[in-house]
Amino acid sequence: MNITENPVFLTQKRLVHRAGVLAAILIAALIGLSLLCGLIAYFADPRDFNFSGPQEAGKMFYAWVIGVETLVLVIGGFSRILKVLTDERKAGLWDSNRLTPLPPSQIVAGYWFGAPLREFYMGAILAAIGLVIVVLARLPLALWPGTQILIFSTALFFGLLAVLIGLVAQRPQGGAAFAALAFVFLPMFSFIMPKFMLTNFLLPVYAIANFFNAGQPPETASVQDWSGLPEIFGLPVPPILLSLGLQFVIGIFLWRAAVRKTANAFHPPLLRWEAVAMFGILLFAQHGLIWGLWHGQFPAPSGSESNANDVPMLPIVHAGTILLATILLAFVSPDPERIRIEALRAGDGNLRRVFSRSAVSLALALLAVAAVALFTQCAASISTNWKIYAVATGNLLDFFLVSVLLLEFCRLRFRRRALGFVALWLFVLCVLPFILAGVFSELAVGRLSLLSPGVLALADHDILNDPTSSELNYLLLTVLAHFGIVVLLFVAWRNQWQRLLAKVILAPPQK
Amino acid sequence: MPAPLLAIEHLRVDFPEVVAVNDLSLTVEAGDVCGLIGPNGAGKTTTMRAVSGLQERTRGSVRVGGHELASEPEELKKRLGFMPDFCPVYDQLTAAEFLDHFARAHDVPDRTKRIGECLELTWLTEKRDALCEELSRGMKQRLVLAKTLLPDPQVLLLDEPASGLDPLGRIELRKLLLKLRDVGKSVLISSHILTELSGFCNKAAIMERGKLVMSGTIAELGQKMGRRRLSVKWRHAGEKALQILKGAGVKNLETAAQGATFEFDGDAEALDGLLKTLVLEGVRVTEWRGSGDDLEQIFLQSGARELM
Repeated sequence: MNITENPVFLTQKRLVHRAGVLAAILIAALIGLSLLCGLIAYFADPRDFNFSGPQEAGKMFYAWVIGVETLVLVIGGFSRILKVLTDERKAGLWDSNRLTPLPPSQIVAGYWFGAPLREFYMGAILAAIGLVIVVLARLPLALWPGTQILIFSTALFFGLLAVLIGLVAQRPQGGAAFAALAFVFLPMFSFIMPKFMLTNFLLPVYAIANFFNAGQPPETASVQDWSGLPEIFGLPVPPILLSLGLQFVIGIFLWRAAVRKTANAFHPPLLRWEAVAMFGILLFAQHGLIWGLWHGQFPAPSGSESNANDVPMLPIVHAGTILLATILLAFVSPDPERIRIEALRAGDGNLRRVFSRSAVSLALALLAVAAVALFTQCAASISTNWKIYAVATGNLLDFFLVSVLLLEFCRLRFRRRALGFVALWLFVLCVLPFILAGVFSELAVGRLSLLSPGVLALADHDILNDPTSSELNYLLLTVLAHFGIVVLLFVAWRNQWQRLLAKVILAPPQK
Repeated sequence: MPAPLLAIEHLRVDFPEVVAVNDLSLTVEAGDVCGLIGPNGAGKTTTMRAVSGLQERTRGSVRVGGHELASEPEELKKRLGFMPDFCPVYDQLTAAEFLDHFARAHDVPDRTKRIGECLELTWLTEKRDALCEELSRGMKQRLVLAKTLLPDPQVLLLDEPASGLDPLGRIELRKLLLKLRDVGKSVLISSHILTELSGFCNKAAIMERGKLVMSGTIAELGQKMGRRRLSVKWRHAGEKALQILKGAGVKNLETAAQGATFEFDGDAEALDGLLKTLVLEGVRVTEWRGSGDDLEQIFLQSGARELM
């Protein structure tokens, strides 16, 4: 079915038009025209401006245009889709659409393209004005299509993410928290060695900056940082291709998850293999980007990157790995009620069912992927640095298992209040040691944090300069102690399941 | 015997702390209007949501027109219309646009004509171009009913359809349901207001705490109840009438000025015999009314508690 015949799209279009689009279009036009007027004023009298030439002026005004365009299309579109979906789910309209014979893919596409129409109109106006600026300032012609493709593909990528979050979030605030994480927290790290951060390619900051810097002499450090081809395991890749490729591949998984959730609201949105594949793609892309810093000989910098250890890239990637895995595990971890219902269907209270459904086994699969990805950084130096690798990998194992066991335990024990308790315990295990270390001026307490061993092993200059340092033995012991927490949690988790499944045995299946 | 249009077998739905529907089996044939009766929390809405596929089933099968929900959900969606107990409408669309959305989704042929028909059926023709947000709750209820009727489904699940309707609306709804019954649709309609269902349900299923207490045609249920409540009025020979009634072993006899109400354990034949005796003994019977076929009576006697 053509999107213009899709009933959900048509209805969203009607709703957008009924609420009014003229004011929004005029606002976009006014902003764009103001910037265009600025450029024209520069041409009329360049002395009033502090630009080195028409190209720089053009780039500045065009950068403002695409900045506003990105704000409207990516953040505005994301918020709009999220709001429409959570509102319609609450009102029962989502269910009404699901009860029609419309294929789930049509329903998803209808919301994806229909809900942010107003933002698309505004984006189109700004894009048109941007083209005029590019032509007037005689900027390289590739700049306009390149940046516009990236902005629109990012809007579609985050729009799809909003559809998925809208389908699984219990409350709109959950989606807003995710948006804050995606648009505020992650980009904060983007400016540390921009060519090496994956977030710069998912949000295509680097590719856009690269278009602006194309043909510029790499005189300043800022131009150096934001120009040139990124490398994946030493293979140069055009940044636009890397951004579009990543968004396309991850977008396929998001699309499949949204369609699956629409077809059957009771199933988790991501299949296990999809979670592992997504994790693998993102993680190997990230490790591929930073591979050139050490060429597999971590912590010894490669010849061309003698200052590789000045910026703690690997600890940042390590923390990012933990964050990504925790999000994926939370997405895939099944509601205990679902496992109970499956047990009721089968009429047994076998714990094996829990192991096969719970995200604990997935945590181990993610660990295997993360361990291989990390290994690429120290493959050539593993014989001397195996302790660093062991501490980092052990830390990942501890964190993945703690987060998934804690989440499932709290869901079993506290039901609706589970997230609050998960946050509490993660705070106690990860953040509280740092606070206590500050309060009592005792740095050693901070090392007890669940986050510390891996980050310290990958960042501490003493350790990196001396892989036989006794500090590493201390970190290994901390990892083992953390594994004790895993064991305790596992016992509590297992007891909760046994208690729940005991009730299943009491209720045999009825014919 | 043709297969029932709606067949529910051993349906079970679990919630974390409670079994919401427990081993429920029910069939509704073409032309049946089956009232799903029960107090609040009995599991009526959950049953309807499970039949429509909106609620996950723990066990059991649901077939509509021979198509199984688990294996052929798309076929089932074409044959089933579900009207929930609240009114999900797009506030910023007109009534006609709202119906157009669902007519397109169901790929209804000749949409404009069908939308007009459904608006007329639900007495909303005049509100065709009114925004949904301007409609009263009852009108929204009727609009959602019109949306449910749009694709001409074989089976209709109506969850508390009259809850927002005014008295006139309820009368019109009754007429509409009778019309649907006459054209061979199967209707499963839930309510905890029993008088709402009286008059057009030919079948009833009584639920309590997730379980089906009993089901069948209204007449069958009346008979199953055994003891019927009856009222009789006469013009002359009141003393004699009371003597005959006491002699026939009626229970809970309550006398009035020229009549009485009582409970009677006997079957239909014994009841006929009692009336015949009264007439033959010279009692001029002016009214003879059995309330055993009354839904409220059936419900009260079914053992289902916590009514309303």
